[in-house]
Formats: sequence, structure tokens, C-alpha cells
Amino acid sequence: MSPEGSPAIEARGLTKRYGKLLAVDSIDFDISDGEIFGFLGPNGAGKTTTVMMLTTFLEPTAGTIRIHGHDLPRESLEARALMGIVPEESNIYTELTAEGNLRFAGKVYRMPRKARKQRARELLEIFGLSDRAHVKAQEFSRGMRRRLTVAMALIHNPKILFLDEPIAGLDVQSARYIKTLVRDLNESGVTVFLTTHQIEVASELCHRVAIIDHGRIATIGTPDELKTSIESVQTVAVTFDAPEGDGIPSLAGLPGVNHEVKSGNGRRLYTDSPADVIPAVVNFSREHGLRIIGLNTLGPSLEDVFLKITGQEVGSVTASSEGEGKRGGKRGKGGMAG
Amino acid sequence: MGNAGREEWQDEKSELLEPDSGGTKPGLGNCRQVRRGVGLSPQTGITHLMSMILFFTASTTGPVILILERRTRTLDRLMTAPLSMGCLLFGKTLVGVVFAVVVAVIPLIIGLAVFHINVHNPALLVGVIILSAMSFSALGVWFGSFPARSVGTVMMPSTLLRWPLLFVSGIFIPLERMPVWARIISHISPLTYAHDAVTHAVSGSGCQPAVLDVMLLPAFLILFLFMAVRLYRRVRRLGY
Repeated sequence: MSPEGSPAIEARGLTKRYGKLLAVDSIDFDISDGEIFGFLGPNGAGKTTTVMMLTTFLEPTAGTIRIHGHDLPRESLEARALMGIVPEESNIYTELTAEGNLRFAGKVYRMPRKARKQRARELLEIFGLSDRAHVKAQEFSRGMRRRLTVAMALIHNPKILFLDEPIAGLDVQSARYIKTLVRDLNESGVTVFLTTHQIEVASELCHRVAIIDHGRIATIGTPDELKTSIESVQTVAVTFDAPEGDGIPSLAGLPGVNHEVKSGNGRRLYTDSPADVIPAVVNFSREHGLRIIGLNTLGPSLEDVFLKITGQEVGSVTASSEGEGKRGGKRGKGGMAG
Repeated sequence: MGNAGREEWQDEKSELLEPDSGGTKPGLGNCRQVRRGVGLSPQTGITHLMSMILFFTASTTGPVILILERRTRTLDRLMTAPLSMGCLLFGKTLVGVVFAVVVAVIPLIIGLAVFHINVHNPALLVGVIILSAMSFSALGVWFGSFPARSVGTVMMPSTLLRWPLLFVSGIFIPLERMPVWARIISHISPLTYAHDAVTHAVSGSGCQPAVLDVMLLPAFLILFLFMAVRLYRRVRRLGY
């Protein structure tokens, strides 16, 4: 039994060294019971290593981890019984049916036969797989495999769910399905540890977010707190009634504009003073015979926070270097993929 | 070993290794003893075949299933489930046992049905088949515990270890006719005890007491599983 009131996850001085490489450098964090916690970071920042240590897949070089009060690795079996793990790659048994996969997962968690049969049917229903219960998983689409992987992680009613890139590569419908499910699970009391590089997903779902960079937690807080921390960064988003290829001149030279970034068929103009930029944009559209179909002022996004914290200056990618992608940044770190 | 023994060993070695007159075939399949069928009664042949099948089938299953499961990431699922590593690897060992027993029983059935061989102690044979399969399968699980993602990466070194064991385990050359150094090496091979125990069960005689064989086979099972668990712990600690 876990001690009453202990955090769902407690990490202190967590360190992992691979030979000379320091992958995770003495990080500390607590995750409360019932929280959705987002863990963000660029490639090679130490996200995966941290998750592997939390899920007992790797032993830390130093530091302590407690899962609902259970010390790792000493009480790893007790801790594992409380976890459901959804890895980035769906790891289902393709030679088994959907129901077979669920029942096997239940067996691994030592659920009684009757209970796992009942829970398997329940989950097939919840995940919209009832009509495919007896079809081998090798015939499933990517979205269905993903749903089955999540269902398998939930077979034993875990208290903590680790989700690694839960919606990567899914179609809009499946992605929405998984997001709704995460919210529902959380409402039913499940703590969710979400690793993603899709910042909008973290922003939408998470109560708190940590950004890890070079093996250290760069910042931790609610998405709003993080956005407030760089509130000086504001943007004016403008969209013209003309395709981007029609040679719309750069707006970077307008008064008050610090940086210009292409965004769909519009532009994002980073500024310290939107009040100066808006009239300038209106004048610009008149001079060039362009019709404005959208004009908004925006606060910093979580993505801006991420870029700033990971050392990639917000709005640093200008319209002329759009080919490198908005996430490329000055240091060319390759954004947040993977 | 005296002079007589040394000469016998030289004869045996040359029989095993010399190519045929045409020089086109490699040593083993070309062994004069095998070619002529000298001293290879159906009873002995079936005993040898069963030992070899048990050894190779059981010790191959571990690397194949573990590495395939590592590649499909289903092993990760099991490694993060509330199962001890020993329990998980023992389960994988049992898979190898099932495969090996099913395959090893085929020559036995052929021996009984076609060559009408007599099994001296059927109960001992059943027990020995299962125990041998378990220790060989655990050896395979140990091979499969090396952090490789391709079966070939593990199979090649494991073959380098398994073939020499086959040669010093009394299958091709009886233990009592081996030189001292080969006999010393034979004691570290589980195949020596498995083959001797199968011979006891089928023919009623062997090189060493059947009790010793039967006691040592589980010891090998425990040793190999222990080594495999240690290896997984090391991988978990170092994060290969």
C-alpha cells in the first residue's frame, strides 16, 4: 500500500550516465496524484532516459525515485503494478486477437481469469474495438493498434499512466479520441505522465509541464505560468486574401516588428508593441493592394516558451528561411522531433 | 592417459577429421565410422540424435524469441510488468523446453516404431529429456540476454560455443576414449551429462552415475538463468 498523501511520482537528484555522457543531470520533480504532467524536450535532451528510469526499465546512476511511496528499484514490482505504460511504438502481439492481447496483458498483471475477461470486454467497448475483438492485431490500422496499446496499459486499472507520444502519426479522429480518453482517465483519478514533442497537445492536456534540456529541467510550471514568464514576447498574426506564393513582400521592416515568421498563408510578426504594429500592417496592406482577412494579437505560446528555454530565440526564423521550419532555430538543433 | 589411450585418440581424431579419398567432403559427415556405420547401432544412433536435437533446438529458441520480442518491443512490456526477471526468463526457458521436447521425441518415435529399439528406463528418459531441455534452453536464454537486436548477432558467437561443446560431450567420441584435457572440458558441458543420462535411460549404462547426471542438469539450469538475470540487470544498470 502506498503511504497516504505521497506524490504519485517523486524524483530526487535523478542522474543517468552512459559512460562519459551525462544524459540526465540530477533532476528533481514531484507529480501529484491525479495530475496530467507533460514532459517536453528536444531530441537527446534526456526525456526518454528519464521515462525509462521512472518505468523501471533503466536503473539511475544516482538519485531516488518513488512511485506512490515505493522506492525504486528496491520495490519495483509493487511500483510496476501501479503503472500502465504506453510506449511510442505500439507493442502489441500481432499474432493475437484484440481480446487475446488484452487477456494476456491481464494475465501478466496476475488478474483473475474472470476479472480480466470482464475488463477486456469493457476496454474493447470503451476503445471502439468490440467489433474487432476476435480479429488478429496484424490486420489493424495504426490508429487501432494505438488504441489497443493504450487499452492494454489500462487492463489492470493503473494509478499512473505513462504515455509516450500518444498521438504521433495518428489521423485527426484517432488523435481526438486519445486526447478525450486521457482527459476522461484523469477525471477518474489516473495520474498521467505525458511525453511529447507536440507542444500543442501538452498545452491542451497538461496541468503542469516540465521542459528538459541538456539533461536538466529547464523550467517547470503550468502552461499559463510558463507563458507568463516570457510575456514580453507578443505577436500580431495577419492573414491576407492572397496565396503566399503571390509575392507578398516581407513585413519585417515595418516599425515595431522584431521578427517575421510565415504561418500558413499568413505572417506572425513578433513585437514588443502590438499597438504600433497594427496600424503599420493596415497601411502596408493598402499600399500593396492586399485585403486583410485576419488580424489578431497573440500572447506567447507554449512553443515560444519551449524555443526560448531551449536556447532557440523566439521568432528567430524569418520568412526568408522558412524552409528550415519554424522549429529550426538559430542553433539548428533540429526542433523537437523524436 | 597411457600410450594405448593416446593411440586410440589419434585414430579416432584422424577418423573424424580426415577427408575422404576424393577430398571433397568436410570431416564430420565424412567420418569413416559414420560412413561405414561401425559401432552405430540404431539404439546408439537414436540416443546421439536425441541429445543433439535437444541441445540445438532448446538452445536456439531462447535467442530467437528474446531478440524478436526485443525488436517488436513486446519484451519491454514484460520487463516493466510486475514480474521478477527470474520468473520472466524461466517462462522463456519453458518455451524452449516445449519446442525441444516436441522435436526430440520424433527420433524416439522413429526408433521405437521403425528400429524397434528398447528403452531401458522410460521414466528416466522422460525426466532426462525434460531436464536436459530445461538446462539447454536456459543456456539459450543466456545467449538471448545479450543486448542485441538481430538474431544473427547472437547466433554466430553462440554457435562458436555450442559446436566445441558438442565435440567434447561424448557424442562423437566416447568420454572414456577422450584425452584427459578433453575430458576435463567435457565436465563443464551440460551436454555431457544430458547425453550420458539419455544413454543411461535408453541403454542402461553410461560413463558416470545417472544420479550425478540428473543432479547436475538442474544445476546448469539454475546457473544459466542466474547468468541471464545478472546480464539483464547489468543492461538495466548500464543502459545499452
